[in-house]
Amino acid sequence: MWSPTWALLGQGAPDEPFQAVGDDRRVSAINPAATAAGIRLGMLRSEAEALCPTVVTVPRDLGAEVARFEPIVSVLEEVVPRVEIVAPGMALIPVAGAVGYYGSEPKLAKRVAAAVTAGSDQGAHFRFGIASGPFAAQRAAELATGRPPLLIVEDDVAFLQELDIAAIDREDLVATFRWLGITTLGDLARLPRSAIVSRFGTEGMTAHRLASGEDREVRPRALPEDLVVEERFDPPLDDFERASFAARALANRLVASLAGRGAHRVIVEAEAADGTVRSRTWRSADPFDDASLADRVRWQLRAWIEGAGVGVRGGLAAIRIRPADLSGTGRQMVLSEDASSTAETRRALTEVQAIVGPDALLQAVPQGGRDPGERVAWHRWDESPAPAVRDPAAPWPGRLPAPAPALVPPTPQPLAVEWDEGLPSAVRLGSRWVPVLTWAGPWRSVARWWHDGHIVVDRYQLVTSAGAFLCEVRDGTSWLVGVYD
Amino acid sequence: MVADITSWGRASRDPLRLRRGQVAALDGAPGYGLTRIGLSLLAEHATSGPIAYLDVRGWLSPLAAWEMGIAPDRLLVARCGDVVRWGRAAAALLDGVRGLYAEVPAGARDAVIRRLGAMARRSGTPLVLRPLRGSVPAGVATMRIAAAGVRWDGVDHGHGRLRTRTTQLVVSGKAVRGMTQQMEVEDDGANAVRVVSDLGAARAGRTG
Repeated sequence: MWSPTWALLGQGAPDEPFQAVGDDRRVSAINPAATAAGIRLGMLRSEAEALCPTVVTVPRDLGAEVARFEPIVSVLEEVVPRVEIVAPGMALIPVAGAVGYYGSEPKLAKRVAAAVTAGSDQGAHFRFGIASGPFAAQRAAELATGRPPLLIVEDDVAFLQELDIAAIDREDLVATFRWLGITTLGDLARLPRSAIVSRFGTEGMTAHRLASGEDREVRPRALPEDLVVEERFDPPLDDFERASFAARALANRLVASLAGRGAHRVIVEAEAADGTVRSRTWRSADPFDDASLADRVRWQLRAWIEGAGVGVRGGLAAIRIRPADLSGTGRQMVLSEDASSTAETRRALTEVQAIVGPDALLQAVPQGGRDPGERVAWHRWDESPAPAVRDPAAPWPGRLPAPAPALVPPTPQPLAVEWDEGLPSAVRLGSRWVPVLTWAGPWRSVARWWHDGHIVVDRYQLVTSAGAFLCEVRDGTSWLVGVYD
Repeated sequence: MVADITSWGRASRDPLRLRRGQVAALDGAPGYGLTRIGLSLLAEHATSGPIAYLDVRGWLSPLAAWEMGIAPDRLLVARCGDVVRWGRAAAALLDGVRGLYAEVPAGARDAVIRRLGAMARRSGTPLVLRPLRGSVPAGVATMRIAAAGVRWDGVDHGHGRLRTRTTQLVVSGKAVRGMTQQMEVEDDGANAVRVVSDLGAARAGRTG
């Protein structure tokens, strides 16, 4: 759902040309009169004013635009409960369930259009595009016509093929693609992805994926405040047992108030007597029930009250549980095929999460890349991995072959290497210098060579009597990037 | 060339195998290949459920574990550099996973390590301990694996690349019937670590 004139809402008469200009001095919204005068989105302000000297230019005020859009979103959520806000005036609505409920896609669009028109007292006009992915849906909304303006895309790939390459919305890439004779998304999709990745890197791969109809899913926005449950304590609680008892009651209240809608993500907050608030997000592949939610709140409170760190100063003044995601699809990880032990495993791992924090209990999946660190995509336990940024199946010339170093520091560590006429002769391990017995390399890697700020790295495998180490030399400085342990 | 280990008459003894409830202690500086050897000890247990790596430094690269035959969805990495929470995290992990590789932070109390060893035996979870400083206290480990040397093939003064590592190990403890064994293991990144030669064995005194 998109309103192209959202930024201009309430500005002047409809027959006067109006344009909104962002911080980048480019036109980001125009009304029909400005369109008729030849002004186009993305044009420089000076170009637009040269084309139409009478155009009225207003600066964008994103805060005001968001505030105006909020009532529309609230109305929209009464029709379809899960909505992702992309920008003021643009929202992504997952329609799979709603189409079943309202009967068909046109019926749903009419229902949504009627609701947002009734909910807007500012005369906003929205266009609707329905497709399998957000990218195709946004392009469809731009091309929609009729009453209400609606375009339903049956086949994303076929629809995208005909679109101009400018649809990928990356000015620098678009210019290069045109220069190479790639003028439509179909032209781009037909090229081998490996060639695009090798020439244009991650940005090229993203463009190729979009052109091929491979898109992300809709991410619904957080839930409204009124589902938050809170318990305040006066005087503040200073022992874990009483806090634990209160947490159980609070979890029961929240699960009851959700009325059957499953929460997959909750934010637990503890307010200390001195006013400081600590919060932590908990996720679950399966919706929380009252027992599992109470367990997590209890573990979290224990970690805060009894664990290391600042604790809860002056006692616990309030506990809040805020549901943050009611998405309906399960995200169960396949950790164990033995069903009888799955519950036990989950319970233990949830407790570990409470001890080390949700960002420190991780799993990893392979992704494309040349360096060992690049080839691993981490994600929190109990969450689905994000779509791979780099395709692991793509060719990665220069990739470090197996065996991989078992230890890779999160950031390269300084490494003292003694060089003899450009060849490594000794390396300092701890406090002692150890002779380099032999080595492989240097392998020169020039990353992002099409950018001005390209990086030149010489990589060595250094072998000593104490083992082998992966070393990088950048601008004459040596760094440890892996230990073959 | 990898020798057929059965020709050494050692297959039945299978010295580098960690059974359920056993505790292995790894002793050697980073670089000898002990991380990969420790992961290879747990790889067979990852076929029946998740295993975990308790990472004190945050340096583990899962690539090495995957090369050891551990499936990505079977490996959990818990990062914990705090010595107090480390013990609690290790204990909780032992309750829920099928194998645990735990780096032991400097300053970890012997009593905590002993308690973890007892928990591993009671829960039947194989445990690999890798002290970052010092060693595992006596009486905890059923198998002690100490690295005595390492050699790499495949590189020659700028040419080639690292291909195969041969590590000399000294293995002792109850898991190897109280015999101190010296052996070489080979790792080329494509398979689990293989024992390629049995250099000798001697009756040990009281160990691990």
